[in-house]
Amino acid sequence: MKNVVKKTWVILVNVFIMLAMLTFVVLYSDFENRKSTQRQIEHFENTTITMKHVTENYLEGEQRICDVWARYINSEDLTIEDAVSFIRISHVLPNASAHIVYLDTLSGLSTKARQGSTDDYSVSYARLDLLNDVSWINDIGKSINISRAYTNPVNGEQSIAFCNSVTLKDPGSGDPRNAILLRVLPIAELEEKWIFPREKFENAELSMIDADGNYIIKGHSFKNSNLFEFYKSYNVLDAAAAQELFGKITSSTGSLKMRNSRGEECILAYTPVAATEGWTLLSFIPMNDLSVNTENWLLIGFISVGLLILFIFDLAVILVFNKRLQAAAREAASANKAKTDFLSTMSHDIRTPMNAIIGLTAITEKNLGDTNSVKENLRKITLASDHLLTLINDILDISKVESGKLNLSPQTFSIVETVENLVNLSQPMIKEKNIEFNFRVIRMEKEYLYGDRLRLNQIYINILSNAIKYTEPGGRVSVDMAEEESPKEGCVRLTYIVDDTGIGMTPEYMKTMYQPFSRQTDSRVNSIQGTGLGLAITKQMVDLMGGTIDCQSEQGKGTKFTVVLDIPVADVQREDMKLDPMDVLVVDDDEIFSETASDLLKSLGATAERAGSGTEALEMIANRHKEGRDYRIVILDLKMPDVDGIETIARIRAEVDPNLPILLTSAYEWSDIEEKAKEVGANGFLSKPLFRSTLYDKINKILGTEAKSVEPENDDSDLQGMRILIAEDNDINWEIISTLLDMHGIAAERAENGRVCVEKMKSAAEGSYDLIFMDIQMPEMNGLDATKNIRALESPWASSVPIIAMTADAFSENITECLNAGMNGHIAKPIDVKLVIKEIRRTKEEERK
Amino acid sequence: MKKFICTLLAICTLLTFASCGGNSQNETAEFKPSLDTKTSCNITVAGSYENFEALEAEFDRFNEFYPNVRLRYVKLDDYNNSLATVLAGNDKPNIFFSYTWMIGNSNYDQVSAHMEDLSDPSLKLNLDCIRSGLINRDAENRVLMVPVFSRTYGMLVNNDLFKREGVAVPTTQAELMTACETLRGKGYESPMMGYSLKSSSCFMYTVAYPMFVATLAKNPEALALANNLDPEAGEYMRPALEGVKRLIQNACIDLEACDAIKDNYTQVILRFFEGDVPMMICAGDTVSGTKKRESQSAAFSGAPFDYSFAPIPMTADGGYFIDSPSVEFAVNKDCDNLDMTNEFMRFLVTNKELNEMASVKRLVTPTADLARDSVYAPFGKIPSERTVLTEVLGIKDPLTAQIRVAAFKVGRGELTVDEAVAMYGRLE
Repeated sequence: MKNVVKKTWVILVNVFIMLAMLTFVVLYSDFENRKSTQRQIEHFENTTITMKHVTENYLEGEQRICDVWARYINSEDLTIEDAVSFIRISHVLPNASAHIVYLDTLSGLSTKARQGSTDDYSVSYARLDLLNDVSWINDIGKSINISRAYTNPVNGEQSIAFCNSVTLKDPGSGDPRNAILLRVLPIAELEEKWIFPREKFENAELSMIDADGNYIIKGHSFKNSNLFEFYKSYNVLDAAAAQELFGKITSSTGSLKMRNSRGEECILAYTPVAATEGWTLLSFIPMNDLSVNTENWLLIGFISVGLLILFIFDLAVILVFNKRLQAAAREAASANKAKTDFLSTMSHDIRTPMNAIIGLTAITEKNLGDTNSVKENLRKITLASDHLLTLINDILDISKVESGKLNLSPQTFSIVETVENLVNLSQPMIKEKNIEFNFRVIRMEKEYLYGDRLRLNQIYINILSNAIKYTEPGGRVSVDMAEEESPKEGCVRLTYIVDDTGIGMTPEYMKTMYQPFSRQTDSRVNSIQGTGLGLAITKQMVDLMGGTIDCQSEQGKGTKFTVVLDIPVADVQREDMKLDPMDVLVVDDDEIFSETASDLLKSLGATAERAGSGTEALEMIANRHKEGRDYRIVILDLKMPDVDGIETIARIRAEVDPNLPILLTSAYEWSDIEEKAKEVGANGFLSKPLFRSTLYDKINKILGTEAKSVEPENDDSDLQGMRILIAEDNDINWEIISTLLDMHGIAAERAENGRVCVEKMKSAAEGSYDLIFMDIQMPEMNGLDATKNIRALESPWASSVPIIAMTADAFSENITECLNAGMNGHIAKPIDVKLVIKEIRRTKEEERK
Repeated sequence: MKKFICTLLAICTLLTFASCGGNSQNETAEFKPSLDTKTSCNITVAGSYENFEALEAEFDRFNEFYPNVRLRYVKLDDYNNSLATVLAGNDKPNIFFSYTWMIGNSNYDQVSAHMEDLSDPSLKLNLDCIRSGLINRDAENRVLMVPVFSRTYGMLVNNDLFKREGVAVPTTQAELMTACETLRGKGYESPMMGYSLKSSSCFMYTVAYPMFVATLAKNPEALALANNLDPEAGEYMRPALEGVKRLIQNACIDLEACDAIKDNYTQVILRFFEGDVPMMICAGDTVSGTKKRESQSAAFSGAPFDYSFAPIPMTADGGYFIDSPSVEFAVNKDCDNLDMTNEFMRFLVTNKELNEMASVKRLVTPTADLARDSVYAPFGKIPSERTVLTEVLGIKDPLTAQIRVAAFKVGRGELTVDEAVAMYGRLE
């Protein structure tokens, strides 16, 4: 309600401002228009005055001619005939004429013959009410004695006459006789000359009135025969006001507004003509001609429409922005809450393992004598530390994601190792939760790929660990990895599908599941450790690799994630792997696995037969044995429904062939059944999923050595006697690594920083060190520079000694930096001794090759 | 209620259709220019009127169709005498006032020679819009002039005064006498008034002329005698002259009071507007000045009243409506821009424009729409038997001069009725 009121107010204020602006524009325009019109009126008045001067000059000029004639006539004692003859001689204007009429008879002679006659020059003014009263004719030279417009009795033309009194000699008696001399000019001719300046006022017209308002000369727009009657016909005025107005018109200079016969508003400018008997010059023009239309209604209309559109547009934009801002505010609040919740969670999640570490450390310190307690505490501390490390890594990753600094560091890697690592990492949780786990690999032909192994690993682990985490004990998690042809040249398409029967996700959560700091609100989820960052990081990484991630989930039923990535194939692949022709029996209740294994064996040159259970396998092996065509090797699944792998081996050994090579396969961790399997006669172990290379190597190894027991996994004999130079400035870290290495029979020597390390290498005899573990951030000289210096040493041995980074700089770009500096590998702190040993072995193996 | 609404809607619908239909009819009657409307030229109308604002208003309306045609009205001095000269001169008008008496008058042969035959079908003038009795045709059946106003004779009646005094406006001679007596009893010394100083437009003529013409109308032989100024026709003036004498003798008219009116036009009107004159005898031409002078009269402005122009009820049946042309327009066939001149005439000679012009001028319209102006409405009620068409009868101007002088002199007591009758044809 308040918002509606506020919006209404905003609209009203906007409308008010708009209207105020328009009103101002209109009023200002009107004000300017009126000012401009007033200036035009003044200009019109001034032009009228100018016209008056022109008129006066003209009238005086014409009167002067008449005066000259009259003076001459009076001075020469002429008869009317003589006078007319004189005027005919001096007359030059073709259309003008002169009349001389006796005052007593009002008849006389004209200088021009009557219309239709050539010799009749008589003229009479007797019937014209013009000369009955000649009091308006003043003495010669005293004034302009001009008549009103009248009909020239000689030719019928409307004319005016300049008059003077003259005295003639009567031709009969010779007595003086008073007469009037009229210099007659046609009005038509006068009107042609006597026009308002057209360039200034196109429609202006001139008139001249006498003191009674009667027109002397009448413009076209002037109606009636009298100005005052004309005025009264079309303008309302009472008698007194009319008297005052007409007095003003005939006695002063000015202008007034009046309506013409069309009802149009006009300006009538008036000014008295000097030297006449109360005559007034009038000029008349429609008001519209004087109004400078500054009121550009089109402009005003355009501005109005523009303002309205602007207003509506602004309103719409503001509303949209408001909605977006509200949404953003909600999102920000939500994000803020998520961050707060996240920090709270982080605080909780960090403090929990920290509490375990600190608490257990304290307990251990007090129970150093109790070996079992110490052992158990240390195991728990290790678990807490691992979890803490994961948390820290996730936080760092998401921070990089948010800052857009997440980059890929491609390198050649083995997808087999990646999958093995994936399986290994997931095994503890699977075992702990007793989850049915299947990992199937379909057609993995390219073992070595070129990509960011760590990020790929991270994607796969995140999805798989989520599946395991959110699948309740007794549930099922299956992983399918397939290699397909990629539309991208030089790439293979890896499809990674993780399907679980976990708690699933709500549709609402699925909309935001890739957003950082989001975790599904679920009582079951809250009991599960997690940062809420895994999926966000995963999505970002998949996007960064140009892949797709798809999720199908139903709450309570499970979730299925599908990740599709196109990854370049590495230049280097393993050579052709071919086994000698042999018969192999694959025993597994999982048909897909059996088929995959059979296909792999066939591709290696072997002939595979399949058995779906231990009993069937036993029978087939027995039959073969009887026929003397023993299988060359049996690949047997550990977990089968009726007779499991262990029992099947035991029965094979007992009932058929104690020496038949048997490889036991499983997707689970070996540790629990390792001893027992060895006891019953398993020749080796093969982790699921099966890869062509691992299968090839394992079969060759078993058949080559014909070993009867598996290779001791914790045999450090190959490491004995190794010497490793460790560049580490931190005493504790040095102590940890040196102790751990010592536990595996490896001798370690310390270099306190990069410079010392380089010096030691310079001075060391060839073969003094098998390997260097190089910290990166060290005083005096960092690990990268030290590596570069070592690689630059003259001694071939020194310059080529394997160098493994051992640093807390764990990002992929750090790894890339290390490799670019000339190092051979990278181990992130905190160190996992297994990884360290594995890396040492890998390095040693490469060195051997 | 529903029925009422339905009926109302139906009426509205019908009215809408009717108004639409009416509009379309009007549109078809509208003037449509037949020449290039961008034509630029001058047209002059010459006349004897001092001013002619009603015609100037027509100019303005014509300019709505032809904005570049400049029309002007020019008053000619000594019109009747100067017209021939003007028509032959350089400043010849396109249209000029003309009168029936000019036709056949040898003094005006030159004038007549300039007149165009307005009945020429190619001109497409709508002469039918004019009352047929007002159209005059010459011996060759030509129409050389068309009336734009008509003239009649009667009296201005102060209707409010009659109402106030409880007296009915008289429509017969008897009623007139009774009304005058009643009014006189109420203090109106001269219930009837009029101009009396000169014969021109004097009330005596205004009273006598209709009666004389009506008498002649009943006797064609007498008309011929009268037109020929035969003294024998004098006897036919007797009823009219006695009527004048009777009004004065019966004190319907106080001559002294009438003599106070100094001119036959403005003063007549202003005197009537004083408000204390029940009946003012005058010609229709005088009535034309009433509208403008309403505002000029302080008395009328202060106490306006309703008035009308009615026939003078000089017979037992009532008064006569003398229907004669007042001003007629002739087209100068030798003028410049003759096409546009005829176009203007085609524009003017329509019911609409003639009525409009008559309304502005407050003269009797020459069209059949007499009742259009409420002032002249009483003449619209006069039956045809008391309507006298002077043009049809063939009343000539010398005849009118005789009755005018006779009536004036009898009225003023300068001649007896017998003397006046005996002097017919010799009165000046």
